[in-house]
Amino acid sequence: MPAILTLSTILIPWLGAVVVWALGEKRQHLAGPAAVVFSGLAGLAALLLYPAASAESVIDLPMGDAFGNLTLRPDGLACLLVAIATVIGCLAVIFSLDYMRGEHQLTRYYAFILLFIGAMTGLVLSGSLLYLFFFWEITALSSYALISFNNDDPKAVRGGIKALIMTQVGGAGLLAGALALYAATGSFQIDLVLAAPAAIPGGVLAFAAFGFLVAAAAKSAQFPFQTWLPDAMEAPTPISALIHAATMVNAGVYLLARFYPAFADVPGWKTAVIVVGVVTAISAALMAIVAGDLKRVLAYSTVSQLGYMVYAIGLGAQTAVQFHLLSHAIFKALLFLSAGAVIHSVGTRDLERMGGLGKKMPFIRAAFVVGALALAGIPILNGFWSKELILEAGLEYGPAWGYWLMLIGAGLTALYSLRVTWLVFYGMPRTELHIHPAGKAMKTSLLVLTVGSFTSWLLVAVVTKISHLTLPYHKVDEISIGTLVKEILANPGTITALLTILGGAAIWVIFMRFQNLPKFLRWTIRPIQSSFGMEAINTGITRVVGFTAEKLRKTQTGLLSWNLVYIVIALILTIVLLGVGA
Amino acid sequence: MPNKLFWILLILPLACAPIIYLAGRLPGIRGQHNRQTSLSRWLLMLVLAGCLYALARLYPAILSGEQTAVSLGTVSFQFDGISLVLVGSTLILGFFCTWFSGRYLAAETGEEKYYALFAILTGSIICLVTATDLFTLWLCFELMAVSTYTLVAFHRHNAAALEAGVKYLVQSALGSVFVILGIALVFGEKGTLAISALKSAGAASPGLLAAGGLFLIGFGIKAAIVPLHTWLPDAHSQAPSGMSAMLSGVVISAGLVAMLRALSTLGVPSTVWGCAFLALGAINMLAGNLLALRQVEVKRMLAYSSISHIGYLLTGLGLALNKGVLSGGEGAFFHLMTHAVMKGLAFLSAGALLYALLPHDGSRGPLKLPDIQGTARKYPLVALAFSAALLALGGLPPLAGFMSKWVIFTAGFAARDGWMTAAVIFMALNSVLSLAYYAPLVNRLYQRKMSDVVESGAAVPLSMSVPLALLALATLVIGFYPAILQPIYQLAGKNLLALFF
Repeated sequence: MPAILTLSTILIPWLGAVVVWALGEKRQHLAGPAAVVFSGLAGLAALLLYPAASAESVIDLPMGDAFGNLTLRPDGLACLLVAIATVIGCLAVIFSLDYMRGEHQLTRYYAFILLFIGAMTGLVLSGSLLYLFFFWEITALSSYALISFNNDDPKAVRGGIKALIMTQVGGAGLLAGALALYAATGSFQIDLVLAAPAAIPGGVLAFAAFGFLVAAAAKSAQFPFQTWLPDAMEAPTPISALIHAATMVNAGVYLLARFYPAFADVPGWKTAVIVVGVVTAISAALMAIVAGDLKRVLAYSTVSQLGYMVYAIGLGAQTAVQFHLLSHAIFKALLFLSAGAVIHSVGTRDLERMGGLGKKMPFIRAAFVVGALALAGIPILNGFWSKELILEAGLEYGPAWGYWLMLIGAGLTALYSLRVTWLVFYGMPRTELHIHPAGKAMKTSLLVLTVGSFTSWLLVAVVTKISHLTLPYHKVDEISIGTLVKEILANPGTITALLTILGGAAIWVIFMRFQNLPKFLRWTIRPIQSSFGMEAINTGITRVVGFTAEKLRKTQTGLLSWNLVYIVIALILTIVLLGVGA
Repeated sequence: MPNKLFWILLILPLACAPIIYLAGRLPGIRGQHNRQTSLSRWLLMLVLAGCLYALARLYPAILSGEQTAVSLGTVSFQFDGISLVLVGSTLILGFFCTWFSGRYLAAETGEEKYYALFAILTGSIICLVTATDLFTLWLCFELMAVSTYTLVAFHRHNAAALEAGVKYLVQSALGSVFVILGIALVFGEKGTLAISALKSAGAASPGLLAAGGLFLIGFGIKAAIVPLHTWLPDAHSQAPSGMSAMLSGVVISAGLVAMLRALSTLGVPSTVWGCAFLALGAINMLAGNLLALRQVEVKRMLAYSSISHIGYLLTGLGLALNKGVLSGGEGAFFHLMTHAVMKGLAFLSAGALLYALLPHDGSRGPLKLPDIQGTARKYPLVALAFSAALLALGGLPPLAGFMSKWVIFTAGFAARDGWMTAAVIFMALNSVLSLAYYAPLVNRLYQRKMSDVVESGAAVPLSMSVPLALLALATLVIGFYPAILQPIYQLAGKNLLALFF
């Protein structure tokens, strides 16, 4: 039974992708409902699979000598992410029914969403490094196809290609690490590495550890690779919610979490992970404070929260990571989908043009506010519990500088959450905008996610129990709801965190009062808005490559004489080199 | 029985070439230029099918390593794993290209010459890769080259095609001169031309090193090694699309295989060739990708990308020769086969679009990027097949290119040498770079706004779309289950090491 359910979570979406594609342009109005059915079935399979999680591989197929075995292993970590991917995938598809109504080429849209969902579940279920990479690349392909969905718009195409190239370059790190481990152990199986990391030569393990860190940083848009995610916001908003908030960007975090037991003892690795997490969290939070586009604020927010998760992995706090993965997926999807409802309604993403929209769309405002409160870490909502777990782990296990910076980060998070909520829904309207009411499908998804933001933390007992039972190499403690509540409320760190959060909110109130950033801080806006110079590096690299390519064209002279000269020179060089070398 | 089948493979295409030509010039048939079917084409497809049948019957014997050899007097031919890779690719790709070319060439004069020369091309490749002595190798190499000269310049009223053909002819001829000089040097030093005998006959001398350089450059022109590649963009983009597919897919690989056979005879330590291949491979990959980035013509872009794929092949071969890594050779031959399928599919798709979108009056302008905008709305199958080919060439799963590149990557790490590892990481980064020109092309196909030529384009006939669909399916199947081709490339990898070590 687990084997069938496991396979279903991959094959049902993929079958759906083929079916939806085959519908063609004539029947594209059926694509959405079909996609809902397939993603819904996948979500159902994932939820049924969860109680049946096991540490053993349920599928084990030999695929050829150089390719090892295709193994699928539905353990606690995998099943959690499978459930997130399929359920939130289904909600995003339902939301899309309204959001994408009237758009063209919908079969392409829904087919790629389904392809993505299947690939994401395959990624986390895979017990073989080759097939992890295989599914990783397919998620990159789907992400690219969906970001550049509106491919008549050059900005969308550029955003898609940027995302593709940057995540692929990072993927080379995963490739290199996987092959190094294969060369050392003779197998692609992940559990082999986790069970006996000491058996692998130190140099190889370190190479793999840092290679995976590069790959994870690129995929999860961590520093220094964070520049692709804001540009990926050209994607239709349900895609931003699903791929760039709740699932694909989690793949990097998943990779690090999965391999933590093997790499924990590699000298310098944990520190590097913590540094990456902290730097990302703070820099992205700063960028969210000054961003002027609604989706960009949320994009930076995602990057920042992923930084929190990466930081937690560096601390070894497996429970906190899994918990925050769940919370973040839910409240971030909620925020993005609400933002999508707003953007769909008013037709713009520019914060400068919004304002006072709350009166005209109370339901969406309520949903967004819930999401923002969860993001800021206000008690009762799921974000509060998981963020507190991370901060406490930081206090207990991590370097002090890390803890203080992440605490400040929590304050900054509250600041930008309040800012963006205020700028969109409260205050006086800054421009005249025509409001277009949200459809039933949109409201359904938003309602489910709002309920989730209030209640998902109650699943802590179930999640930690299953993880504890099925992850033999990761130290996950079983925590009951009561223990969670007691621990967090009793911890002095919690009060500090809450005060910092209120402080962040207070800063926004003060800003609003004075409407302007004090002069001594204004110079900071430009560098923050250009991603602290990372964007300039990207542009620089692209320019250099383009320049070199253009110059190289001159060598293709088209003149036969020159071609023959090249040949003769090559011959002379070859004979000389051979004479010298051999 | 194996011997009879082998003779069929060797002789059938060459012997039937004149028959194919004459059949096309029969009094009743000659002059009917707009015929939907062509007797020559059917005959050629029959010949290729016959050869495929013979190959299929021969297959178990080859895999089990039985001596599959024939000889006629002092000339003998032997079928090993490397031959299997190339003969299989040639026959299968040739069959699809011929099937495809029916309507494509229907309006041309002289199409019977095309099919006859195609038969000679196929036959010469089969003899080339099974030859066991240097002179037969060179002879068949020449025959292959001569048959392709006119095939490249087939649209002879088109100045660009003629120019491409002439450049190709002159440069290729120069290469052949180098090769025969090299063979003469070898014969002078060692007194024999048989490849297996030469291998075991003593160490290298300056004369043999010079011969090695001559072989490297001479065959390298045909194999499109940078800086000898300058004929390729013109030739592959101006040839009829069925021929472009064959040229990129099989002919340049045949040049590479001929080079391998020739270099193995010299007694030079294989690490020399291994290092040379790795260096040349790196240059090919980078130059091919950078040059392709700026291309506006579709077929020219695909031609430059062939140069970078030769770079991947050279990297795999270099790993095998330098460090004796078995998976290097395996990966290279696997990639040879998948490249034939993927590049063949890409060129055939481009050809289908050329046929449907641009005028048939023999003066077809090149297919440019703005022309293919919005293709998917009117030609969904062709667009899907083309996208599958391009993404496969970029090395994205679940398509074939990913799996073949993966095997080469494993070789780089199996060698446990920093330089080898760096070489394959460079290859991985180049694979990412290639996406920078494949991905925008795919995007254009799926744009909503159709270009003018797409709006007014004609239908793509079934005889073109079915081969495309089958090749696309093959790309997908190999990507999901690469073990299908495993026995073939593993045998070829073993044979490669046996050649040099």
